[in-house]
Amino acid sequence: MNRPVSKDFDIRDYLRLDRMPHFLCPGCGHGIALRALLWAIHELDLNKDKLAVVSGIGCSGRLSAYVDANTYHTTHGRPLAFATGLKLARPDLTVVVITGDGDSLAIGGNHLIHACRRNLDLTCLMLNNEVYGMTGGQASPTTSADRYTTTTPLGNHEPRFDACKLAQAAGASFVGREVTLQLPALKNLIREGIAHAGFSFVEVMSDCTEIYGRKNELGSSPEMVLRQKHDVRPESYGNQVERPFRPGPWQTGILARDERVEYGAAWRSHCAQHGGGVAP
Amino acid sequence: MSATLEPVFGANVDATRPTNVLVVGVGGQGVIMVSKVMARIAQLHCREIKQSEVHGMAKRGGSVFSHVRFGAEVWAPTIALGEADVVVALEWAEGLRWLPYLNPVSGSLIVDTKRIVPPFGCIDRRRGATLAYPDTRIAEVAAHVPNLYALDAEGMAEALGNPRVANTVLLGVLSTTLDFPAEEWRRVIAEFVPAATVSTNLEALEVGRKWARRVHEGEAVTAPLNLPQARPAAAVVDSVALDINPAWCKGCDICVKMCPELCLRLNENQKAELTDAALCTGCHICEWLCPDFAIKVNLLPTAEAQHA
Repeated sequence: MNRPVSKDFDIRDYLRLDRMPHFLCPGCGHGIALRALLWAIHELDLNKDKLAVVSGIGCSGRLSAYVDANTYHTTHGRPLAFATGLKLARPDLTVVVITGDGDSLAIGGNHLIHACRRNLDLTCLMLNNEVYGMTGGQASPTTSADRYTTTTPLGNHEPRFDACKLAQAAGASFVGREVTLQLPALKNLIREGIAHAGFSFVEVMSDCTEIYGRKNELGSSPEMVLRQKHDVRPESYGNQVERPFRPGPWQTGILARDERVEYGAAWRSHCAQHGGGVAP
Repeated sequence: MSATLEPVFGANVDATRPTNVLVVGVGGQGVIMVSKVMARIAQLHCREIKQSEVHGMAKRGGSVFSHVRFGAEVWAPTIALGEADVVVALEWAEGLRWLPYLNPVSGSLIVDTKRIVPPFGCIDRRRGATLAYPDTRIAEVAAHVPNLYALDAEGMAEALGNPRVANTVLLGVLSTTLDFPAEEWRRVIAEFVPAATVSTNLEALEVGRKWARRVHEGEAVTAPLNLPQARPAAAVVDSVALDINPAWCKGCDICVKMCPELCLRLNENQKAELTDAALCTGCHICEWLCPDFAIKVNLLPTAEAQHA
């Protein structure tokens, strides 16, 4: 805390150096996603003392422990609930939630949809590696079809969630998706999400090399990262030509954005009129 | 050819042999459109017309050319060296490349001073590297070309609101060097361009014709040529120091496989290592994609820059 930050982005200014190196497996995309988040925070020139990073359980949940800011490592699936309380009590803080696909869509699925519905000024970074990595590689709600995991030894036959459509339908006012391979684009997307007043949901397509990639013969870490190039359909392709460059199944970029009433501001004005509530 | 003509400026069409127009440029600029317009107009007046082009291989940004030959009798589909009556170049270096095809006695070179540095001009990707682009000036070219029309067509097109109509500006200049009625040029262009851009293209044609008229009246309106400089104007950085932290590196191989210069490797301890510092351009890709934050790219200013 309070360590000075150099003018050019140096990720070491934002890390708890005594905790490094981090516990993630070699080639885990979560590290790249964390870099994008910290870079976005650097570009927004946020004071580290005014930044709170909240995370749940799982590989993604451990990331908050490495950030040199106010961090909050909460229970499985509930980081959004904790963050909601934190943001309402301390509206001066910038609250970023780091969560995983299992954490936010399965165990904390209800918290996610209601956080989207409320539209409180939070930024939810969902790191999607299609598997429960930390607990041993069980299938998650975003596991792709026919993928082998420890709970789907014959291949996964459940359809997967489209988390961005879910968040958009539930009412998130900013929804975006990006892959870790496109780091500058991911950084820009997260920056837009943090700057957006309202609930921002950013899905980061990450990769799990050790537990998911190996079981499904998806190749080494560089091969898994490079494969993302074929999995995306950038927003800029639009609807011009049907499959112009063999676009993949994941549409990336800002997928939805509207300026709905932000819940925190509405709640505070309600308290000012009718009394009650907590003075920030 | 049609008998009733409007005032012709610098006509160089000879009835006894085919007229040769060579259209050259960079892929994506509209070379083929220019040559199609030229061929269509020639088709309305001449008994024989042949057009041959190379495109596609050039993709966007590569060299594209199109030969248009028309007259009473045309045999070969391509123009021989030194026999092009008009060379229309949509890019400065492409104009220079095709100069040997221009008729050295009576040829006209219509060239946009716009420069597009080809990918191979930037093959040295280190910061501060010079571009491989000819530094030939307009005056040097003018000494070897009978009729030189060097204009900033792209700038004129931008003034009209759409830089993509630069090729039509050059068509406007071309239209003044050949004996075809202006009305026909307008009609054919309107036929070839997308419906939404017809009015802009017709304006561009007029701009080109006006500019050519001023040249024929003896005005010195040659465009200034902005030749490319070595890239870094403000921040001169040429040496790169890669700071690799072996304590954090987990040997995932991402940096090694992603490095465009192939200058990283894993050493015997499975830690990333720079093989040749001279190859590193400081592109930051290894730093960005390192999940373990083990690489930091430091760009060091040169000694001269530190002095200044």
